[in-house]
Amino acid sequence: MFKYRTHSKKLSLLAAALAIGCALAAPARAQDIKVGFNADQSGTGAAELGIAARHGFDLAIEDINKAGGVLGRKLVGIVRDDTGQPPKSIQNMTELIDSEKVVAVVGPTNSGNALAWLHLPQQKKVPVIVPVATATDITRRYTGEAQNYIFRVSMVDREQVALLLAYAVKASKSKKIAFIADSTGFGQQGVKDLTEVLAMHGQQPVAVEKFGPKDTDMTSQLGKIRDAGADTVVVYGLADANAQLLRSMEKINYFPVTLGTWGNMSTPLLNIAGKKLSEHIIFATSTAEDSNPRAIALAARVRERFPQMPTFVAAAQSYDSMMLLSAAIRQAGTTDGAKIAATLESGVADTQGIIKLYRKPFSKAEHDALAVSDFHLARWKDGKVAAYSDSITKSFTSADFKK
Amino acid sequence: MINLLQALLSGLALGGIYALVALGFSITHTTTKTLNFGQGEFLVVGSLVAVGTLLLLSGKSHTGVLAATDVSLLHYGLAMLVSLTALGALGVILYFTAVRPFLGSTGMSWVMSTIGFGIILQNTALAIWGPGSMAMPSPLGEEVLRLGGAGIRPQEILVLLVTAVVMLILDYVLRRTKIGKAVRAVAANREAAALMGINVAAIVVLAFVVSSGLAGLAGLLIAPITTASVFMGLAIALKAFSAAIVGGLTSPRGCIAGGFLLGCIEALVGLWRAEMREITIFALIIVVLVIKPEGLFGQKPFEKV
Repeated sequence: MFKYRTHSKKLSLLAAALAIGCALAAPARAQDIKVGFNADQSGTGAAELGIAARHGFDLAIEDINKAGGVLGRKLVGIVRDDTGQPPKSIQNMTELIDSEKVVAVVGPTNSGNALAWLHLPQQKKVPVIVPVATATDITRRYTGEAQNYIFRVSMVDREQVALLLAYAVKASKSKKIAFIADSTGFGQQGVKDLTEVLAMHGQQPVAVEKFGPKDTDMTSQLGKIRDAGADTVVVYGLADANAQLLRSMEKINYFPVTLGTWGNMSTPLLNIAGKKLSEHIIFATSTAEDSNPRAIALAARVRERFPQMPTFVAAAQSYDSMMLLSAAIRQAGTTDGAKIAATLESGVADTQGIIKLYRKPFSKAEHDALAVSDFHLARWKDGKVAAYSDSITKSFTSADFKK
Repeated sequence: MINLLQALLSGLALGGIYALVALGFSITHTTTKTLNFGQGEFLVVGSLVAVGTLLLLSGKSHTGVLAATDVSLLHYGLAMLVSLTALGALGVILYFTAVRPFLGSTGMSWVMSTIGFGIILQNTALAIWGPGSMAMPSPLGEEVLRLGGAGIRPQEILVLLVTAVVMLILDYVLRRTKIGKAVRAVAANREAAALMGINVAAIVVLAFVVSSGLAGLAGLLIAPITTASVFMGLAIALKAFSAAIVGGLTSPRGCIAGGFLLGCIEALVGLWRAEMREITIFALIIVVLVIKPEGLFGQKPFEKV
């Protein structure tokens, strides 16, 4: 009996503490407009992109509220970390939509997580803007439905492949291009995109090799690529494996023109491959820290909160996602998800973002705000990501970008 | 031809790591007939403790980033000392909490308890160091050495050298010294060894200390090649265990040979088709188990009547 009593006392204390904690943690009031953020900020090799995106999201909300909020109400961001795990990401999504009753969601970091929960916001009519994940299918899965609720302001796999191959085709003197990719869905889907787009240029890869995402020695695969005579290699892997690939290139002293996805913008590449080797890989990105005054200003503000930020681009994309959302809510005059999505699609007012001025970024058929024309090449330079240009990038015309 | 040489060099370096961990399996198996299935996680702890020590010695936080100048030979040596001490201590704790309670009892309780101990270690490391992979520059520099057109890094040579030295020392100790004879006596017959005045308990604890220490040493050596990460243990431990099975769990020399053999097979199959590496290795294990269950170098278990 006595035991039971102390227990219940402890429990009620705990409950009280929890109640106070919740009250402190969520200052949202009934009239506030809640927007969810659900992305990996700790688990996978892409977590740094998620952290940068979260700060971009927070800063956009800060700016919008400073300018008077939306519909006379304050915006409140509800941030969740899915640690890169699909089950956790689904759980976060359910919680944000059903319990927090968010108006819209910005996220996630990982394509696999997005593909795991796309049906939830789609069924519950909650618009989502994806600020990081790049899988082409994310924005296309529900194209056939009356209203597709999934939008994106980020790199798109098919589009970055178009840019990488436009460069590769011109850079390869021997017209011998090889692909090497990790054995995961990400890498293999990438090879599929690469092969299809290269065929549009009228070429076939001379070698297609695989490596495990945790492999540390790719000399065997590279040796075969060298024997095939390739002078240009496109790599589809995450930053840590790509760093090992660069180290293997050094080992066999074979340095073809090396191109990769924007995943190379993560510090593991720099830390594992070292400053000098990391400069060898050229990759696609949507914006660089120094590409315009707005980007410089936002980067400085994000750095105050996340000093070691390696990948500004995710912050810019996330900031722009939130700006487009708030413009759509304002224009729709309501927080109704269906109306917000319809407004985004049918022509949201011109919105000045960090990356560019968005003029009708979305339509019924196009849910990606950024395309190959918004992307450019970059590489690591002295420990920082810097825009890359040479005679080839300067000669690009829109005819070069096949997709 | 250069490709072949390159594959062999890479395979030997990787094989050295398998060999060290495989030795660890062999030592506890011969003395207690148990295995530490958490060996991979011990390797993880070994490498992370070393990275953490190096970071602290450089005045950085234990989750910081190591610069090449932070890893001097002196600091690497100190990190090795800390890492081996920590791992030796973990070996003692492992023995008393997860192995001894189940010794002699039938059943497989120790399998679960050593796996569990490994998972506890892994999650503790996850809480301390986080999930990312941490780069550790080699104390010998990153300059690639050329050998007939193929490249090898100084750290890979170090792995080969250390494996060879550890093998020679263990071989000498086991065959030529009193303590080695005691270990072999315990392995052969615990009761008889105890009756002969050998402190069986001490020998068994020693076996676990050496076994854990070898995993830690492997972790410390491999970190500059693969980077240190909480999740790297299982894959290495599985291959090392396979190496021990192929070479013969009862034979330390067999374990070393098995390690190098597996490393080379892996690299050579990679020359043909990278995705066939694992398939080939584990198919080989099954073949060896069917044809020569005691391993290529193992002795057939026999009972004198």
